[in-house]
Amino acid sequence: MGSKSAGSAKEKLIDEEQEILQAVVLADSWNRRFRPLTTNKPRCLLPICNAPLLDWTFESLALAGVQEVFVLCRSHSGQVKKAIRDSKWSKPGSGMKIVPIMTAKETFSPGDAMRDIYTRGLVTSDFILVSGDLISNIQVDEVVKAHKERRKTNKDAIMTIVVKEAAVGHRTRSMGESAVFVVDSQTSECLHYEPVFGHPRKKMVSIPREVLASHKDVEVRYDLIDCSIDVCSVEVPSLFQDNFDYLDIRRDFVHGILTSDLLMKNIHLHIAKDGYAARVQDTRSYESISKDILSRWTFPLVPDDNYPGGTRYDYTRGNRYLPKGNSAVLARTCNIGPNTLIGAHAQVGDNAEVTASVIGPNCIIGVNSIIENSYIFEGTVIGADCRITRSIIGAHATVKDGSVVERGSLIGDKVTIGPKANLKPFNRLSVAWKESLDHSPAGTEDGAIEADDDGGDQTLDEEEDEDSDFEDIEAIQDSLDRSQLGPNSNAIIWPNTPPEDEDDDEDNPENYRNQRFMRLAEDVAVEHDYDSETSDSEENVGVSARGGAAGQASAVASDPDKEFRFEVVQSLERAFAEGHSLDNAAVELKTLRMASNVPLSRVKEAVIGTLVDKIPLLEEGGAAQRKEVHTIIARWGQLLNRLGGQDPVETITLLQQHSVSSARLSLFGQVLAALYQHDIVEEDDIQGWHALSTSRGDHLGPGVEKDDTRKTWLVGAQLITQLAEQDSSDDESDDDESEEDAKTGPSGPPESESEEETDDDDPPSKPVGVEKSGITTGEESSEEESE
Amino acid sequence: MSPDARAQPQQHRSVEILAAKLRRRQIVGSRTAALETLLVLRQVVSKARFSNFEQLVEIIRGVGRRLVEAQPKEHSVGNTVRKVLHHIREEYHTATGRGNDETSSGFSISKFVIQGQPRRQVAVQKTEIKTNLKEDDPDDPDSFARGLKPVLMEAIQDVLDELETVYDNVSKNARDHIHPDEIILTLGRSKTVETFLKTAAHNRHYTVIVAETGPSYDGREMAKSLSAVGISTFLVPDSSIFSLMSRVNKVILGAHVILANGGMFAITGSLIAATAARAHSTPVVVCAGQFKLTPLWNLYHEHGSLDFGNPNDVLGFKEGDLVDKVEVVNPYYDYVDPELIDAYITNDGDHPPSSIYRLLKETYDDEDNEL
Repeated sequence: MGSKSAGSAKEKLIDEEQEILQAVVLADSWNRRFRPLTTNKPRCLLPICNAPLLDWTFESLALAGVQEVFVLCRSHSGQVKKAIRDSKWSKPGSGMKIVPIMTAKETFSPGDAMRDIYTRGLVTSDFILVSGDLISNIQVDEVVKAHKERRKTNKDAIMTIVVKEAAVGHRTRSMGESAVFVVDSQTSECLHYEPVFGHPRKKMVSIPREVLASHKDVEVRYDLIDCSIDVCSVEVPSLFQDNFDYLDIRRDFVHGILTSDLLMKNIHLHIAKDGYAARVQDTRSYESISKDILSRWTFPLVPDDNYPGGTRYDYTRGNRYLPKGNSAVLARTCNIGPNTLIGAHAQVGDNAEVTASVIGPNCIIGVNSIIENSYIFEGTVIGADCRITRSIIGAHATVKDGSVVERGSLIGDKVTIGPKANLKPFNRLSVAWKESLDHSPAGTEDGAIEADDDGGDQTLDEEEDEDSDFEDIEAIQDSLDRSQLGPNSNAIIWPNTPPEDEDDDEDNPENYRNQRFMRLAEDVAVEHDYDSETSDSEENVGVSARGGAAGQASAVASDPDKEFRFEVVQSLERAFAEGHSLDNAAVELKTLRMASNVPLSRVKEAVIGTLVDKIPLLEEGGAAQRKEVHTIIARWGQLLNRLGGQDPVETITLLQQHSVSSARLSLFGQVLAALYQHDIVEEDDIQGWHALSTSRGDHLGPGVEKDDTRKTWLVGAQLITQLAEQDSSDDESDDDESEEDAKTGPSGPPESESEEETDDDDPPSKPVGVEKSGITTGEESSEEESE
Repeated sequence: MSPDARAQPQQHRSVEILAAKLRRRQIVGSRTAALETLLVLRQVVSKARFSNFEQLVEIIRGVGRRLVEAQPKEHSVGNTVRKVLHHIREEYHTATGRGNDETSSGFSISKFVIQGQPRRQVAVQKTEIKTNLKEDDPDDPDSFARGLKPVLMEAIQDVLDELETVYDNVSKNARDHIHPDEIILTLGRSKTVETFLKTAAHNRHYTVIVAETGPSYDGREMAKSLSAVGISTFLVPDSSIFSLMSRVNKVILGAHVILANGGMFAITGSLIAATAARAHSTPVVVCAGQFKLTPLWNLYHEHGSLDFGNPNDVLGFKEGDLVDKVEVVNPYYDYVDPELIDAYITNDGDHPPSSIYRLLKETYDDEDNEL
């Protein structure tokens, strides 16, 4: 009885859908590192250890208990969709629902994909964001749990990045695209993110001073593998939507969130100590991850256990994997070395040697051939006496007798080379465009490749783009040495020279020189000095504190500063001229600020300066001048508050500084009054400002500047007294020549106490008069005042 | 009727879920796996539609095949299915009233050796009512299933009960195996061994030496757990097993799988301990539930059956330079030869390795060895 009820309770548990865990897979790479292997096949369907990458990713997600997966595919989406439909995942009882989402061709970056996710409204709760080339056995559901727990107390913790601990020079760690993470050791909050490329070399990492100032224990990590598993909250896609210029999830989004003090969001870091996670992001990592799988670091995701592909393998001594049921035909005299996977129905000839390689199903390796550290896809035929070293050979290719394929070569699908071909290192071959189209499977109605993110030809249809690429390559074939391919080869050679037409953008990891760090079999010795630099301590990265709130202006020097100032003026001029709404102007300023990475006070300073300069200086002064001041402040004054981080005292100080240093000293009183009237500053703020020693000009050396500062301070003092009197006295006083008086008045007594000063001196009281009348003219505000 | 019956086995959601869990190693441990298998089998049988006995057997076998294929290294899954089949057959024979003579004649020799099997008698008494079962009834094809199902449920319940009490039954004679002031060496953290030692501690005062059992270091947990109940416990590194062996009176090990030849698979390090014990002529005793008995003779020929796990436990993945240059293997199990083992203590009495095959014949039906 008891056990029966236990059983039914269990059933209920299985059926019960609490909160399903969703994942979004970005099944596009937005780069072309695997070309020409990816010319008519999406990267996520490339096999690694004879199973498509996407299946490994699904299995990784299933391991983490994910129940619903959205696969965002762009290039070759038809193929991806078909692959998902035919896979075991679409069968009932797989426990995971996979929904392919076709996104538009115009999705040029992960950021665009995120915006697409937002507009489609796919995700309903916290979700896992991964790329379609992930292999992992990390229990991400626990990270999700921790993430949700954190969200309960801190609504701004929007994202948790999962990274894997490794050493700097680890084979699985990308050299071309890595990063320095600065993390709070106690809260594991990610405080700073700095991308690091192989080229240009980064010798210095700048960490904002605030980071070091506001956190007690800070770790600077340069030993992490970023496997791009992100546990995201629902608002992450909407943040992408708001910040339409975010392209890359790491370089733009994470960096943007962390450096922005407007968004006030936090990103956390989960440093996985156990488990394995890595991305096949380039041919280099393709090799290392293949090796990791074969040496069982990804356990239980290994060929003889929880293998995502269909074939089952037997594990034999020395990490040799042979298909179950002896379907492979291995000659008695062949030599299968350690760390090798032989696909189903493959044949290995007499005296052939296969070491540390993956041989696809139905491959034929000829007699006496030597294959080392190579990855040969399905159905390829290697002739006799060939030597293949550290290369990837696509499906259904033919390498005829006596050929030599040197390290780093990529040979596309259906290529035929030889006999006696002699490929130089890093050769990339494919068949001609027309031919690749003819043979491409029916599913590729959009048989196009991944467009690069920086090319100017983005608006072109991809197919055309690809076509033109091929045309370019085909056009230069005559100038290349085709003798190395052997007679009757159908291959075209992809040049390895840096592109001339595109300017090599060094801020992008796809720049030519950086690509070399992601290439299969590339000798890392190029970066030798770099290695020695970092090898002494894994966390020994050059750290320099960037100027914080206080010291930044002087240190960073004026050039970018001036530029920024100029930009603000331009932006405001436009706003004035075209009559933008306050909101729009504020957004524009915020963007500018983020783009130039300057503190808030500088924006304010620039805005105040521009506003004050905007006020036309009238000869006659008096009421007319006042009116001008009011028009400007009434229309634009609120802008100061919309910049974020309201600090009216600072506003007044900045106004004072600007007035002193410009020709509009005389307007200070009026502007201040106007600000007061429009509720941009309060009486308390003026008093607060007044009490500051800096506003009195005490810190300045004697001179004009000090005098002028002093003058403005006195004007402010008058305003205060006047405001204090306001309730009782309603008398109107005339105002003229206010600025003249203001100028002469305070300059008289150089050193005197504040209270007496204001009481005694007559001339300064005039600006107050100006004030008062100003108040009476503004109708709404005057009513408020009189209350 | 038959297409209906055929449609049954594959489409069971719970079977697929369990298969996935086994494959992903979300369910590990022989007993957990066996329990889960039983729960799934019970669901399957309760929903199954069949009109004769062969169909029922085929349904259960189908489930068994699916689960074993999902995780061939978790042998207790297959064993449980075999056991259920065996029980169901027995029930069926008693119910139809023609089985008794068959079983008694078939196992006459082994009956001579094996002492008590109380379960069998109980089962016989329970099912006397069902006598009018009719197979392949054309008028009411479900009548057979309806009639048999309560019996089947009881049979599965029997297996479940046995599993749930397995630790206690293994340990019931613990005091006879451990004598006062003995020094016992053990390895890893087998729940069976743990219960066995704790039960013995009620009556005996003795000392346990626990080897750390790298790379899982389960021995540490074991030592903690044992010393918590007041057993005097030493935790020693694996390297000192041999040097300490001269002082040890008895080695008590757990098992993952017991093979028909009397050998067994047990946690890594067991082979070292057993070999060292042989060198010192120290008796090696293995505690294991009956569900670990596996009708396989030559499993040890398969290299992969040692269950090579993640090398991360041996050498951290972050040791970047070494990862590239060193081959690291991390077998989870050792195969221990029958010659190195002196006795098995099961919930079905104590047996020498040489009589395991008979126990197997008793427990499972020959036709089920291959599911």
